[in-house]
Amino acid sequence: MIETGVLGLFAEPSQAAAAIRSLRAAGLDDVRVAMPAPFPEVMDAVGKPRSGVGVGVFMGCVLGLIGGLGLCAATSLAWPLVVGGKPILAWPTFLVIGFECAVLIGGSVTHLMLAYTTATGRARNRMPVADLRFATDRIGVFVLTQAPGAAQLLTDQGAEEVRRVG
Amino acid sequence: MRGVAAEISSIQAVSVAARQRLGAGHWGLIALAIVAVAVGAAAEAWQVQNGMQGTGLNRPVAWGVLITDFVFWVGIAHSGTLISAVLFLFRAKFRTAVYRVSEAMTVFGVMTAGLFPIIHLGRPWFFYWLFPYPNQRQLWVNFRSPLMWDVFAVSTYFIISATFFWVGMVPDAAALRDSATGGWRRFYALFSVGWRGTAEEWRHYTRSYLFFAALATPLVISVHSVVSWDFAVSILPGWHSTIFPPYFVAGAIFSGVAMVVMLLIPIRKVLHLEGVIKLSNLDLLSRLVLLMSLVVSYSYITEFLLAFYGKPSAERDTLVYRATGDYALLFWLMVLCNCVLPLLLFSKRVRVSPIILMPIMVCVNVGMWLERFVIVVTSLSHDRDPFSWHLYKPHLVEGLITLGSFGWFFLWFLLFLKVLPAISIAELKEEVAHVHSDEEPAHD
Repeated sequence: MIETGVLGLFAEPSQAAAAIRSLRAAGLDDVRVAMPAPFPEVMDAVGKPRSGVGVGVFMGCVLGLIGGLGLCAATSLAWPLVVGGKPILAWPTFLVIGFECAVLIGGSVTHLMLAYTTATGRARNRMPVADLRFATDRIGVFVLTQAPGAAQLLTDQGAEEVRRVG
Repeated sequence: MRGVAAEISSIQAVSVAARQRLGAGHWGLIALAIVAVAVGAAAEAWQVQNGMQGTGLNRPVAWGVLITDFVFWVGIAHSGTLISAVLFLFRAKFRTAVYRVSEAMTVFGVMTAGLFPIIHLGRPWFFYWLFPYPNQRQLWVNFRSPLMWDVFAVSTYFIISATFFWVGMVPDAAALRDSATGGWRRFYALFSVGWRGTAEEWRHYTRSYLFFAALATPLVISVHSVVSWDFAVSILPGWHSTIFPPYFVAGAIFSGVAMVVMLLIPIRKVLHLEGVIKLSNLDLLSRLVLLMSLVVSYSYITEFLLAFYGKPSAERDTLVYRATGDYALLFWLMVLCNCVLPLLLFSKRVRVSPIILMPIMVCVNVGMWLERFVIVVTSLSHDRDPFSWHLYKPHLVEGLITLGSFGWFFLWFLLFLKVLPAISIAELKEEVAHVHSDEEPAHD
């Protein structure tokens, strides 16, 4: 589906942030932004909630801890050889493996969550224009609208370039 | 006053231009590294064919140069994550210009360290016995052994460091992809996994990066603690010590940061990155080296103090042997390199002078290698039982394998400099914008 709207290019993060706020104040909520770095003022203006990857990371860590401890316990019971006078289930020694597995699985889940959330987020909030400058030095603000005032609003906030898309 | 966009744009240009500056000299260094790797590989092949008797290892000194190399390289790998993750959590701004190099150093350092336990096995083709895998006889690895903790700690450290390194690289690779052509474009596209830089992507990315840093931070502490437990959990005099984990972690940060400074000095000069990697960065890193030198010196003193506090013991005898016995020269050289020379870093003039810093940092790394050698070898060669005392002398094959490890490390590092940005483009852009927004009220 071709999405139509207006794209404004900004050089200053503060101007882009002001433009996004103005658009949202004017009731134009479907604003999409692309930029070379996560400029905090722009991220604040976009106003999306904090990413939920943390829940997955926590679950991954807990799973890793249980899995690591379980692996140690199960394998020790499967081959119950007394070593160094320690009990078969020597939990303090297993904690090290539990910790390493918690970090390993937690980190891997972080990676998977990042891949999933960015891919789905990109698909949901697609930037309909590909411009090399978004990755280099300009901030692209796209607003999904047919309203005639949007282009003027972006220009008023200091957009270097404004054009209709779609 | 230049605008934000112009400054942001210049960061990327500087990074691209830096890589293009690497010419014939760089390829010459890569060729040299390949030769060193080939020499190391040939030595390892010889060792495999002739058995471990080809090394100087024998009872009771079963750990020598190869294990020293392992601990040394794990230590080198340590500081990368410290600079990258720990300083990120503390919002230390000086890390931005230098963390990419230190992260790369971490990944390649672990890749090098991981070879040594396998080489040391003597029969490296059985390396998979180190991992717990289902088997018909229901034989399982001994999870109560610190050697098994090592397998898990080093593997986890490698996987998390490599992932952290890659994730940090994604936005930069996307920036380079969009300005590259041909094969390079495909290469960067592969690295950047479809990154477009949308606010939606950044929202998840910044949060995930924070979690990576939070996970990597305890890992930094745990890995070298686990390595120290390889020694401390035994009952050998000189090894069986409760101060080993913090002592080893401090030593690892000490040698690792020194290596970062060693690498940054030529990089900033050759790649013309003096405007990004400033003398103030070297100054702050040198302060960290100085701090760690003091911690390590304190640990050496504490070790002796504890041995001399009680009644005469095997521990005291071992430490006296360390300072006055067959390996005394190495011990005092270690003290000179790790405790005395770094004191020069109290002078600001020294800290901002690359020409003086370079030899100090080289000495620190020599000193830290010697520290590991002294710890590993003196305790084994002079344990409780005088009947089994034995003088260990490394053989040529161990030296050549060590040389190969340096070749291996620098080969990867030199290739990294050629193909990937040595500075974090995205974070520097963010920092530039920050500086401008801080300056804004003054212009009103």
